[in-house]
Amino acid sequence: MPPSLVNLTIDGRKVAVRKGTTILEAARQVGSHVPHYCYHPGLSSPAMCRLCLVEVEGASKPMPSCVTTVQEGQVVRVNSEEAVGHREGVLEFYLVNHPLDCPICDMSGECDLQDYVHYGGRERGRSQEPKRVFGRDDFGGDVLFYGDRCVMCTRCVRFMSEVEGDERLTVVERGDRAVIDTFFEEGLEGTNWHGNIVDICPVGALLSKDFLHKARAWDLEHSPSVCTSCSQGCNVELHVRDNLVQRIKPRENLAVNGWWMCDHGRHNYEWMNRGGRLQEPYARVRSSSTGNGSSANGSSGNGSSPNGAGRSSWSATLSRVRDALIAARGGAGTLAVASPFLSNEDLAALVRLVDALGGGRVVYRSRRAPDENVLKGFPQLARRRDLAPNTTGLGLMGAKRVGDDDGAGGLDRVAGHDGVVIVVGDALHDQMDDFAASASAFIYAGSHAPPSARSAHALLPVTTFAEQEGSFTNLDGRVQRFSPALIPPGSARPPWFVLGALAASMDGGEMARSTAEAFAALSASSPAFAGLDFEALLEGGAMAKTEPARGEGR
Amino acid sequence: MTKAPFANPGWAGNTGDFELTESEIRGSDFVGERPKSGGHASGAGAMPFMFRRREPDSEIFRGEYLERIEKVVSRYPDKRAALLAALSIVQEIRGHVGHADMREVAELLDLPTAHVRGVATFYTMYNKRPVGLNLVQVCTNISCSLMGADEVFRGFLDHIGVQPGETSDDGEFTVVEAECLAACGFATCVQINSRYYENVSAEDIPDIVAHLRSGGGE
Repeated sequence: MPPSLVNLTIDGRKVAVRKGTTILEAARQVGSHVPHYCYHPGLSSPAMCRLCLVEVEGASKPMPSCVTTVQEGQVVRVNSEEAVGHREGVLEFYLVNHPLDCPICDMSGECDLQDYVHYGGRERGRSQEPKRVFGRDDFGGDVLFYGDRCVMCTRCVRFMSEVEGDERLTVVERGDRAVIDTFFEEGLEGTNWHGNIVDICPVGALLSKDFLHKARAWDLEHSPSVCTSCSQGCNVELHVRDNLVQRIKPRENLAVNGWWMCDHGRHNYEWMNRGGRLQEPYARVRSSSTGNGSSANGSSGNGSSPNGAGRSSWSATLSRVRDALIAARGGAGTLAVASPFLSNEDLAALVRLVDALGGGRVVYRSRRAPDENVLKGFPQLARRRDLAPNTTGLGLMGAKRVGDDDGAGGLDRVAGHDGVVIVVGDALHDQMDDFAASASAFIYAGSHAPPSARSAHALLPVTTFAEQEGSFTNLDGRVQRFSPALIPPGSARPPWFVLGALAASMDGGEMARSTAEAFAALSASSPAFAGLDFEALLEGGAMAKTEPARGEGR
Repeated sequence: MTKAPFANPGWAGNTGDFELTESEIRGSDFVGERPKSGGHASGAGAMPFMFRRREPDSEIFRGEYLERIEKVVSRYPDKRAALLAALSIVQEIRGHVGHADMREVAELLDLPTAHVRGVATFYTMYNKRPVGLNLVQVCTNISCSLMGADEVFRGFLDHIGVQPGETSDDGEFTVVEAECLAACGFATCVQINSRYYENVSAEDIPDIVAHLRSGGGE
């Protein structure tokens, strides 16, 4: 056995852990949960809360397990009568001043104090005295402070000084008057990561103003996902109720974002809930551009309008689109505009469709921030310059970046192209209304129908990343999976499904029927993604075979 | 030169080669018994200095004060350690430590302002609000309480005519309750500015207040 290991017994189980491990972490390794507030794996341990007291044989008093390191031959009892008794006593002390306002507290349902009292507290309080009252304070930014609920674990103070590197919070006064505060009216304004203190607050003392009284924690569906606000690819959870994203919380992944995420990513979810969606596929056939493609016009009989645009079913629309594409292929070739918000699978389907049309170019536009915003205490995490989740994946599949740092311009060649034009996801926000009017076939697939898609021969409703399954490749080349959180509107389908169906009908190959199949096709065709297992990607992701794209483009 | 009144093994006087008396060591303030007039400057009560004279309008950390804080900072490997001393100097000048002063200390020592506020509010010896020329702190902890501290506290309030924590209209007095002044042997103890007044009873209050009004409260 290597000398760096220490043998000890926890709750009767023998365990060997690395030297320097704390009892709390060792207990976690053998599956004994030690209740705690102030301990957080990403922060230092001050032994403030005294809730992690355990019995150590030979020690004259109960030991705070979050700061006590393991010793050779130690015998620890986490769940002995004595240890549990100590913790019950500590819990009772907490409830002397903690208000029992769970029915109106936003943390209710995910509050550690609530859980611990439920499992190990007294049935009835003995306290006769009135509780002290601190009231509330607006800390600025997105944080509201409810002083009465604070248990003085100081996680927020330590986060701001150790991780954020901007010591805005402190403990003011002492004893039972102690309270968390900033420098008078200074507040948290101007800091970029302070949303994390709401996450790590074990009770409802720090609350998000954005989420205040919006939903109860137990009403929310949690979908593991990946943040789309920049190319860092932070692991997040989308919390959904009523088919609306209510908030975004970080999900632990030490290789990417630790336990943290930036405030911008946290509050960048309104667009996922945006209405006015493209709901049904539309196909318009212009006889001048498609020749024999007009045969389908009116034959499906479901609501053709006088101007030639008509709602139709997916199968009818896709067969019309396919006919139009077949008629238009060859000639001037294909130009495709992709969005860097498309998943790897979506892109693979687009590339396959372009290949089926005889080859062409795929370009994308992406916004870039002037600077990176690095989290000082966790420098592998930053808000990256590249403000889209999958620019690395696009690069790996041969798409070229065009346009400027605002994600505008660069499409002049596409706008005047007289071959096939396919736009997927890009909102064309800076383009003229007659975009690609001269194209022999112009297919627009997106979540909304922008004015610039007016001359499109077909409008295909596709899902956003929040409504589908798939994977993104972050700037390090890490391929990470996201899960569907919302039910897509109308007949919107994932881009890989729509484009894959078109491509399969043209090249005669197999059509992917699930995201896993789409990913399998991708890893079979692209060497960068070879050997990756889609099922295994959900936890932590896996590296694509690529040189990390750090540097100019990130 | 008088002999030490008692052999006290607990103080560093008559030990070994040093033939110093307690009064030589303690200086002229020590008069052999604990006077009620506040002649005794206790070590516990002497920091931070609470002077009657104050210069509320002067700039802090200029001239002699800057020299002093630079000396203090030079004693530590880390500027952060000089925080208590810097706050003491502020209190010496102003009589209290205000928001703007905390900000100035933070800038001087390269500390986050919130940290300075946290430290300043942790210690009760720093006044966070302006106080009168004489800050009367009555200990009401257990020993003093048994010796009638509550009557002494009430007596000061009534005689001066203020509420706890309030400053009298003439700006002369602020009366507060102190948690423990560590002077249990001569309870009741009252700290007024930087001096300890011990064996204080309610009857002594008019004399003490008159003494302070005549300028004897330094």
